[in-house]
Amino acid sequence: MAEAAIRVQGLIKRYGPTIAVNGIDLEVRKGEIFGLLGPNGAGKTTTLECLEGIRKADGGRMTVDGCNPQSDRKELRRRLGVQLQSSSLPDSIRADEAMSLVCAWHGLAPRIDLLKGFGMETSLKKQYHALSTGQKRRLHLALALVGDPAVVVLDEPTAGLDVQGRAQLHDAIRALKAKGITILLATHDMAEAETLCDRLAIMIHGNIAAVGSPAQVTAAGHGETRIIVRTMNGSLLPGRDIGNARFTKVSEGYGEWMCSDAAAAVIDLLRKVQAAGDTVEDLRVERPSLEERFLELVDGGEHE
Amino acid sequence: MNAFLLHLWVQVRMDARERGTLLTFYAVPLTFFVVMGAVFSSINPTTKETLAASMSIFAVTMGAVLGAPIPLVKMRESGVLRAYRVSGIPSRAVLFIQEVSAFFHLLLVSAIIFATAPLFFGAGLPRDYTGYFTILLIYIFASIALGLLIGVTARSQSMATMLSQAVFLPSLLLSGIMFPASLLPRPLLWLGRIFPATHAMQSFSVLAYHLKANYSGASALGITACIGMLATAIAVWRFEAAGREELG
Repeated sequence: MAEAAIRVQGLIKRYGPTIAVNGIDLEVRKGEIFGLLGPNGAGKTTTLECLEGIRKADGGRMTVDGCNPQSDRKELRRRLGVQLQSSSLPDSIRADEAMSLVCAWHGLAPRIDLLKGFGMETSLKKQYHALSTGQKRRLHLALALVGDPAVVVLDEPTAGLDVQGRAQLHDAIRALKAKGITILLATHDMAEAETLCDRLAIMIHGNIAAVGSPAQVTAAGHGETRIIVRTMNGSLLPGRDIGNARFTKVSEGYGEWMCSDAAAAVIDLLRKVQAAGDTVEDLRVERPSLEERFLELVDGGEHE
Repeated sequence: MNAFLLHLWVQVRMDARERGTLLTFYAVPLTFFVVMGAVFSSINPTTKETLAASMSIFAVTMGAVLGAPIPLVKMRESGVLRAYRVSGIPSRAVLFIQEVSAFFHLLLVSAIIFATAPLFFGAGLPRDYTGYFTILLIYIFASIALGLLIGVTARSQSMATMLSQAVFLPSLLLSGIMFPASLLPRPLLWLGRIFPATHAMQSFSVLAYHLKANYSGASALGITACIGMLATAIAVWRFEAAGREELG
């Protein structure tokens, strides 16, 4: 098993009487993209801020690339790149000036190559206020990579971006992973988490409710598989339960069944079609999505 | 040190692109100076003698008290300070750079006033140049300290504007730069002494122009310096405390 780039043990953070993070344990392996999901107020940003050294934890232990973010903040800045959820730069600073500035404070020559690598060659002289949201995000990502950090924390990096901007940023994140950089990504976008993350954790009310690969987390739910079938002669309609498949509805010639054992249900349905001398025109098997699993966990958490 | 100097250079360039900065540090004070020099000094020739000093006090007060706080509040509100912090830029350095860049602008506008006042408006020259520039430097320091104090104390930009006006307007009206402070009713005369502009004007009159004034120029200069040091100490303390509060 790969070594841990980030290790969190029993992290606690309170705001007055409110417990924002309730003794969570988390491990992010070196070189992986790890997603942190959760509804608003679940404690994701607080957890990230503790790891970034910009918020003081009330309990627990943490290491980021072997460094304690609470006590070794100077060393942390060399090892950890951070893109905050809500951050900004002065309106009148130019992209190249921002890069020069951050590089200078890291004791480095300006890394204009990073900006060019994120497709900002033509925006180097643009002032911050004149950059598009996507360009601002890419600028902040480039600034986070100035010191060639081993770990990068991205807090909702694609929020508010259009489809093209989102795709560009996803490519950039994949490129970072290809370089061996560990990425901890907080997001509300389930599709993003499903396609980008090697593993993820779902946080609810300051606790980790589920952790694993997107497929593992999805499979661990109680959600049933949906089977949608349309035949040439409509032999399965008006529709009834077949074997272990529960008929749910019919729509535009499609019958829909829900089941827990998809393979057995599909076989039963196909046998029925064959027996009627009918032909299958369209057959879809849809596993519960990460989003459905997420909602199941959140709803469960709300009811607790 | 290189990082600091580069940051300062970038800051000065950013200031030069900011319309708000150019207005409060240069355009409005210099326009006011021209109006005062051309109109008021012909109405009241006695103001000609100390025109350079009084208009420098106006320019410095305006730039430092109205111009310096807003960028600080904006940086805090918009997350610039947090972005700087996670990028390895120390917050204290940011505060210091704001102070130094404001100092540079105020020194420049004061130098413009000093050089042009005698030339264009026949303003009197100081008898003691060393005294003049010592007072000017101390007053710039004290005013920026007040500006920073407003910037780190105000919770929002509107609050900062209110606090700035609460310092700027009495400084303008009660310090003796518009008309002799001796014309003011006694309570207002004493109220004016809360503000460093009053003491700076007193210092200029006595120490730089060798004019008669209400009290010792050296004491006035000492009070100006003390206000500056006190405001700096409180501003730094507030800034650090705000940083700790943010850490939670």
